Amino acid sequence: MGTNSGATAGINNKPVGGANSGIGGVLSNSLLGGGGVGSGGLSISGLNAGGQNANVGGLVGGGGNNGSDDGNGMPGVGGGPNNQQATTPQYTIPGILHFIQHEWSRFELERSQWDVDRAELQARIAMLLGERKCLESLKSDLTRRIKMLEYALRQERSKTYRLKYGTDPPQLNEFKPSNDDVGLAGDVATDSEVPYSSVSNTTWRQGRQMLRQYLAEIGYTDNIIDVRSNRVRSILGLNNNAEHDGGGGGVGLGTGGGENLSPNINGNESNKRASESEGRHTPAKKVQQSNDAIILDTEAAVMANFEFLGTTEMSDDDEISDDLEMVATDNDDTDVKLDQKRPKSGKEMLTEVDLEAEVGEQLLNDMNLMTEEVDGSLGLGELAQLTVNNDSDGSYDANSKDGTGGSAGGAGYRKTWNAKYTLRSHFDGVRSLIFHPEEPVLITASEDHTLKLWNLQKTVQAKKSASLDVEPLYTFRAHTGPVLCLGMSTNGETCYSGGLDGNIECWQLPSPNIDPYDCYDPSVHSATLEGHTDAVWGLTTMQNNIVSCSADGTVKLWSPYNKEPLLRTYTAAEAEGGPSSVDFVRNEVDHIVVAYNSAHCIIYDTETGKQVIKLEAAQEMSGNTGKFINKVVSHPTLPITITAHEDRHIRFWDNTSGTLVHSMVAHLEPVTSLAVDAHGLYLLSGSHDCSIRLWNLDNKTCVQEITAHRKKFDESIFDVAFHATKPYIASAGADGLAKVFV
Amino acid sequence: MKMADGSTILRRNRPGTKSKDFCRWPDEPLEEMDSTLAVQQFIQQMIKRDPSNVEIILTMPEAQDEGVWKYEHLRQFCMELNGLAVRLQKECSPTTCTQMTATDQWIFLCAAHKTPKECPAIDYTRHTLDGAACLLNSNKYFPSRVSIKDSSVTKLGSVCRRVYRIFSHAYFHHRRIFDEFETETFLCHRFTHFVTKYNLMSKENLIVPINEGNENTGPGESEA
Repeated sequence: MGTNSGATAGINNKPVGGANSGIGGVLSNSLLGGGGVGSGGLSISGLNAGGQNANVGGLVGGGGNNGSDDGNGMPGVGGGPNNQQATTPQYTIPGILHFIQHEWSRFELERSQWDVDRAELQARIAMLLGERKCLESLKSDLTRRIKMLEYALRQERSKTYRLKYGTDPPQLNEFKPSNDDVGLAGDVATDSEVPYSSVSNTTWRQGRQMLRQYLAEIGYTDNIIDVRSNRVRSILGLNNNAEHDGGGGGVGLGTGGGENLSPNINGNESNKRASESEGRHTPAKKVQQSNDAIILDTEAAVMANFEFLGTTEMSDDDEISDDLEMVATDNDDTDVKLDQKRPKSGKEMLTEVDLEAEVGEQLLNDMNLMTEEVDGSLGLGELAQLTVNNDSDGSYDANSKDGTGGSAGGAGYRKTWNAKYTLRSHFDGVRSLIFHPEEPVLITASEDHTLKLWNLQKTVQAKKSASLDVEPLYTFRAHTGPVLCLGMSTNGETCYSGGLDGNIECWQLPSPNIDPYDCYDPSVHSATLEGHTDAVWGLTTMQNNIVSCSADGTVKLWSPYNKEPLLRTYTAAEAEGGPSSVDFVRNEVDHIVVAYNSAHCIIYDTETGKQVIKLEAAQEMSGNTGKFINKVVSHPTLPITITAHEDRHIRFWDNTSGTLVHSMVAHLEPVTSLAVDAHGLYLLSGSHDCSIRLWNLDNKTCVQEITAHRKKFDESIFDVAFHATKPYIASAGADGLAKVFV
Repeated sequence: MKMADGSTILRRNRPGTKSKDFCRWPDEPLEEMDSTLAVQQFIQQMIKRDPSNVEIILTMPEAQDEGVWKYEHLRQFCMELNGLAVRLQKECSPTTCTQMTATDQWIFLCAAHKTPKECPAIDYTRHTLDGAACLLNSNKYFPSRVSIKDSSVTKLGSVCRRVYRIFSHAYFHHRRIFDEFETETFLCHRFTHFVTKYNLMSKENLIVPINEGNENTGPGESEA
């Protein structure tokens, strides 16, 4: 037993001692200066309750023997247990084994802890190494810059020399900068805006490449960043590794490169400091640029993905340290280029990115749905074009709202219009509405004899609905019958209305912040243009002139604030019938286009009063009865006239040849109203089928349909409008409501 | 205008319609109106046919919800009162009528403001009509035009009381305007009948005399 236990203790102690090099060493140093064996003896005896004396003996013995050699220590330890056995015979083999096992696992645990510690320290070393490398490269970078600046200075000097003496200074050609230097020169030139115009684009790119390599190098050695960015990189599968290590390197530069570096460079002149701070920013820019390049390469689809990935990246934010955040921000900066706007704070960014991700997903869905749609709509005859998917819909490429639309091209981000404001205050159908050219303000004209002014920024939240109610700010009263049409001056200060009473009233718009219950100011109603003898149905403005058409058969041109406001009257041949709608030809001064009951449009020269051309389709001459034109609008930039017909068609005419360019069934019932957006890209149409439709003028396809109003008798929608500068569209209906969509 | 497409009558005012043809289409029976605005359509149709025949205009069709009927009528009154306001704007200025009065007995305070104010008569008129337009179109009180809560129906009485003062002011201070307007529209006559019939105002408040019993006679007899 004695030998046995001694042997076990001895055997056991050996590996323990070996493994214990850390703690064992510490213990023995502090207590005895002996090896692991001593400590082994100590722990064993400590476990045995009765072995106090032996324990001491063991310790002393161990200590003494250890002084000479390990082999001698063994018997000493062995003696300890032997003694113990004499005094405390309750040792059992299982007990000892259990104890040994317990100890073993404890030591294993400790060893793994030390392993972890060691790995951490190694990582720290690696990081410091990386930092050092990074600083070194920064230093070399800066020295390059110095050289480059010296070179530039020399060039400059030689130039002045040449200018002064007319010959090349002899010694200057000796110094030729290396390719790299030139490359860097290019970089600096772009970054610091020093005009090194001589540096070509290729060398500039080379320099960029090189710098990226530097950054990559640093990134690779930097374990911490590497480990952390690994995850991100795997997520951002699109970007190659170099890019992101570059990002890491950039971070290293950014954090380490600042103040810490300055002592190193302090030996150099003061202008180094300037370039140093530049140096801090340059790498980040590089990453940005390279990301940019990637984006340019991978185009729209990738773009969407990239944004989507941006989300994941951001959501990891909490655990990932600042460094990574910087990587993320860098990516975001690239987005900024395409987005034009991007909030800075992480949270906002997160939501924004989320939104965009959704858009991306939606886009994919849209495309799927649309292809299905196309399949489904085959063989539907002329109504095929009518099919539109209200879920996929929405492709008003709102340039003003979101820049991504432009970047992604045809498959870009598409906007869906949703009803946001309901304008309820009219007692009867709203015949016309018009937006202020700049403010979120509009005016509605109704069959209840009034006009109302609305400010979309003054809203009342309607309960349990997403839409907002707007209360009117001002009620214009002067008409003694239904008000049928509206026009507004280009500066948004004056508005004109034509009514069933045959009068055109001129109004000075009150401030959009007026108190709705302010005192009556008679000067708001600034003039009445009398001249028409019957209902005024059409009114449109161009600079200071207005043109109106009336059921009395005439079209009149007015300059409202002249002494003699009526400038000219245009009357068509009897056969054409009365005019129904009128518009200025937008791309041709002094031309107006008038739609007549005959379903023809006539373009007049306002100066001469002569007919310029008649828009009529030769083939369609037969049976014009149903083709009554409800509305005519001129394209804002092209020589195209668009007409809305009673026979559910929208037709496009060429103003120069007078021929029909395109004809399409647009609605299920007569088309009553048309509006073209300020850029001439989209057409909005309203119909008695209660819906408004948005059309892409490029390919004449319907991109969204919204059911907006209810019927009163057989009428539904009277007017539609685009805001010239803000993303609003609006519709006016026979149900007495006007709706604004965003 | 109506223009029969095939055999169906389309009740539309197309652009270019002459004012005499505006809304000039064959009457449509209420039962055939499937619109949510049927009551308004019906009332307007009756007025269009003969504005002087107030008794028929105010006769509620069978199976008609009384709340909606009163509500739609009041909307129509407020709408037509715009015409009176337009005329008053030309003559009734804050200098001539500094207060909203009818007889000398009362000065009416304008309820459109947070604290009722002594607005000049023309402001009172405009504010009252604007306020009525907002209230009657309020999504909170009148979210639907086919059914109306009882609690909202009680609002109609106060609107009636306020807009009636416009009639009374016009009658006592701008008699010429009132007479012209009344000759054309019979509005005060109709209104008085309306509030009496549906018990929306007390008799003693109806201070504008109207000649009872001659609804069907020609113009010029409805006032005084």
